[in-house]
Amino acid sequence: MIDFTFTEEQEMFRKASREFAENRVALFVPEMEKTGKVPPELVKALADAEMLAITVPEEYGGLGLGFVARMIALEEIGRISVATAMMLQVFALGIDPLVRFGTEAQKKKYLPKLASGQRLASVAVTEPTGGSEPTAGRTIYSRDGDNYVITGRKCFITNAHIADTITVVAKDENNPKAFSAFILEKGMDGFKATHEEHKVGMKGCNTGELSLDKCRVSAECLLGEEGKGLRVSMAAIGDVGRGGMVGCALGLQTACLESAVKFSNERVLYGKPISNLQTIQNKLADMKIDLEAGRLLAYRAAAMQDQGARCSNEFAVAKYFTTEAAQRAAKMAVDIHGGYGCMEEYAVTRYLRDAFVLGPSAGTSDIMKVIISRWVLG
Amino acid sequence: MNKGFGPVWVIAEQAGCEVEIVSLQLLGKARELADELGVACEAILLGRSLEESARKLTEAGADRVFLADDPALEFYQPEIYRDIICSLAHEHGPEIILAGSTFMGRELAPLVAARLATGLAAHCTGLRHDRNKDLEQLVPAYGGLLSIVCPEKRPQMATVARGVFKTPEPDSSRKGEIVLIPVPATAEARVRTLEVVRESSSSIELEDAQVIIAGGAGACSPEGWETIRELARTMDAALGCTRPVVDEGWAFLDAMIGQSGKMVNPAVYLAIGISGEQQHMAGITGAKLMIAINNDPASPVFQQVDLGVVENFQEFVPLLIAKIKAYRQKSCLQP
Amino acid sequence: MKIVVCVKAVPHPSEICKIRIDPATKTLMRCDVPLAVNLLDRHALEAALELKETSGAFVSVISMGPPPAESIVKECMALGADRGILLSDRAFGGADAFATAFTLSKGIEKTGSFDLVVCGMASSDGATEWVGPQIASFLDIPVVTMVRKIENRQSNEWLVISDWQNGYRRVQIRLPALLTVTRELNRPRALSFSGIVKARKKVIEHWDLDALGIPEELVGAKGSPTIVSEMTTVEKRRNVEILQGNAEEKADKLVTRLGEAGII
Repeated sequence: MIDFTFTEEQEMFRKASREFAENRVALFVPEMEKTGKVPPELVKALADAEMLAITVPEEYGGLGLGFVARMIALEEIGRISVATAMMLQVFALGIDPLVRFGTEAQKKKYLPKLASGQRLASVAVTEPTGGSEPTAGRTIYSRDGDNYVITGRKCFITNAHIADTITVVAKDENNPKAFSAFILEKGMDGFKATHEEHKVGMKGCNTGELSLDKCRVSAECLLGEEGKGLRVSMAAIGDVGRGGMVGCALGLQTACLESAVKFSNERVLYGKPISNLQTIQNKLADMKIDLEAGRLLAYRAAAMQDQGARCSNEFAVAKYFTTEAAQRAAKMAVDIHGGYGCMEEYAVTRYLRDAFVLGPSAGTSDIMKVIISRWVLG
Repeated sequence: MNKGFGPVWVIAEQAGCEVEIVSLQLLGKARELADELGVACEAILLGRSLEESARKLTEAGADRVFLADDPALEFYQPEIYRDIICSLAHEHGPEIILAGSTFMGRELAPLVAARLATGLAAHCTGLRHDRNKDLEQLVPAYGGLLSIVCPEKRPQMATVARGVFKTPEPDSSRKGEIVLIPVPATAEARVRTLEVVRESSSSIELEDAQVIIAGGAGACSPEGWETIRELARTMDAALGCTRPVVDEGWAFLDAMIGQSGKMVNPAVYLAIGISGEQQHMAGITGAKLMIAINNDPASPVFQQVDLGVVENFQEFVPLLIAKIKAYRQKSCLQP
Repeated sequence: MKIVVCVKAVPHPSEICKIRIDPATKTLMRCDVPLAVNLLDRHALEAALELKETSGAFVSVISMGPPPAESIVKECMALGADRGILLSDRAFGGADAFATAFTLSKGIEKTGSFDLVVCGMASSDGATEWVGPQIASFLDIPVVTMVRKIENRQSNEWLVISDWQNGYRRVQIRLPALLTVTRELNRPRALSFSGIVKARKKVIEHWDLDALGIPEELVGAKGSPTIVSEMTTVEKRRNVEILQGNAEEKADKLVTRLGEAGII
């Protein structure tokens, strides 16, 4: 029997997340829009609110609350700031490979600080050769005794400049089919963040390039088996990365619908609120349908994730659906606002810009469809 | 058939050496209600050095004033005040007791009502008798108006803010009886007001102001509030606000206009960054000209004013200030 | 030290505008609005939790409401309260401030001895401000309303600052006592994930009319001296003119109108 209701505890997680988003995160949004920079106090606020600990197991200093709880938190934060939700989701994305493939020593070394926010995480796979084709990456590593030496360049990496602990994927210099994952730390010789992107949306979420120039790391930094690096990173991206995008998108869908409802209830034309007009009602219904469907897809996949089941396909469907739906919702919300939908003071314009950036993050919609077709064709 | 009504009472209040205007306004209304019932209209005043105030209460319509005048009552003493009022009520069986929605009234009235086991309505914007001569107490809520009655218990009690009723013209020919009430010993009081300290810096009382500029949640920032202050200075207007402004610390509670704040009746009311929420708008009992400046064209405030300006006030108000100054210059130059 | 905090489940402030009087039927239009802890009660609870942290006080939370109100009592447990009680019974429905205060006072008596009762000064719906002082009256303890600061706590004689006209008053009060608090008193702590997890095992006690052992005539609608005899809607009285043109033009028009009104 399927129970589609949230538990009382999950409802309280939602309340706590919503309060945090409305009372703390909201204050940073204007600054983030203006400067495009990550406010350090925002990161501290996220850490203080235990947001970084949600998916870290209890024995390593986390709350071990699972991925449904994480989805709830992301949804609520995304409703106020997609940029913040994106930053937060990638923290968890960077934590996941360590939880899944880390040795006991690695987990003890990194996880407690990542849970408390003392250190921040990310994952670096994408290169200029194309994130949609990870095997074409040119970042290479070679063995040198007990060390590995890595050289290459990663781009479009979320949290590139603020993360301390980054899981980086590189190709074996001698074997183009073998990839390995390494846990790199900011400050290591030859490893640094370089160019910072100026995105049209998700302002205040840091995106940038990482440069590896003969970066020498010990064998202890190898994450998972040598040669199996792609599996390490793609597992994380497939579930946690996609799931994170779903949370961001759901939040944005909700924000779009709420602002559209508010405006159409108050805006009076022809002597009545425009919410009386069928053309507006159609749009609101469309947004509502997409939100209901999106939430079901999201929480179904997250519930599977909490049960330990394979769910990257379900997340591909949810990611495709919700990020596309968020883009539609933003356009409809802007249309409902009429001329005011073009003015910067109105949040809907930010929703539109943020919605664009949802699409290509953690896999484009076209790639999602390729994955889903593989699921269908078997 | 005569129902045998008791008198109509007002718990009056003195601040410093002056009787509170709300007490006079309530007496005006109490007089009206008493006349409808064919009973006496009386007041209770507790405090120190009350003779002058007692006279004003008489001139405002009181047939009799019960005075508890004692140095120990220089400040409001809750349990003593309550005991005196309840004792008088047991003796005289009033039909109605009114009190101002002042800081004192909002604490004392419920204490009296609980002790007398009777009903009490809060922040009424209207009082009238219905067909059964029960007191209908009107309270704004849920976008409309509630009529509250206390059908069985007596006295019927209500608190009303200053400005809801008109201040009656004093009639110096009216003579009333003064009854001195003995004050019980205060030594054992479990709660004592030690002192009252004044804090606010506003000179114009909102209730008396002709021109009021009010800022709302949209103005909660240092620059925002300063812009509004500047406009108030330019227009020689009193400055009011809504609850969020007080909560965020931009103004004191005494600047708050609304159902649980001040009731105002200016000639011109200019609302800046205010959404038009009912709790606030209920505080404006009358204004000849109401203007709103708000950058949200869908804001409900625009349904409740005479003139609307859809602009960002931070940009518009400085422009307005410049224009007002230019207008004044021009009028000075004209013969 | 034993503290009892009274909390009320109210419609969430962001949604309360949805509750409106239907002009046709003259009754409240029912709609599903989520519940929240009355904001001022959060400040009351915060005051109690701070005393718990500094003096080891035991904090009980009590609320009168229908069964869904249990969630907000649970929320208070997640914030740190030690004991949570929900007074719930069909008979409690339709209560005015008097009956509410009476029922709560009976619940507070049932919790045993206490040193302090704390309430928010008013609820966001209703907002009479009467329940706190009336509870104090029924419990026969002294009360100070609108407390913005607790200045001094010497054994059982406290000094508090209470809002007053154009300022404040300094009040001495002897415990056991009741305080109603304003937003200025403190900054309520946020609901946290770990707090929610810690509250997993905590059980909310449900007390009905029988548990309180009071006659039905004294509670709910039957125990309320006041009733709402009628609801009416207020007609819009003003015809708004939205000034047109660019900012300059609008400012000019506004100045002209102010001049005509004799204001400038």
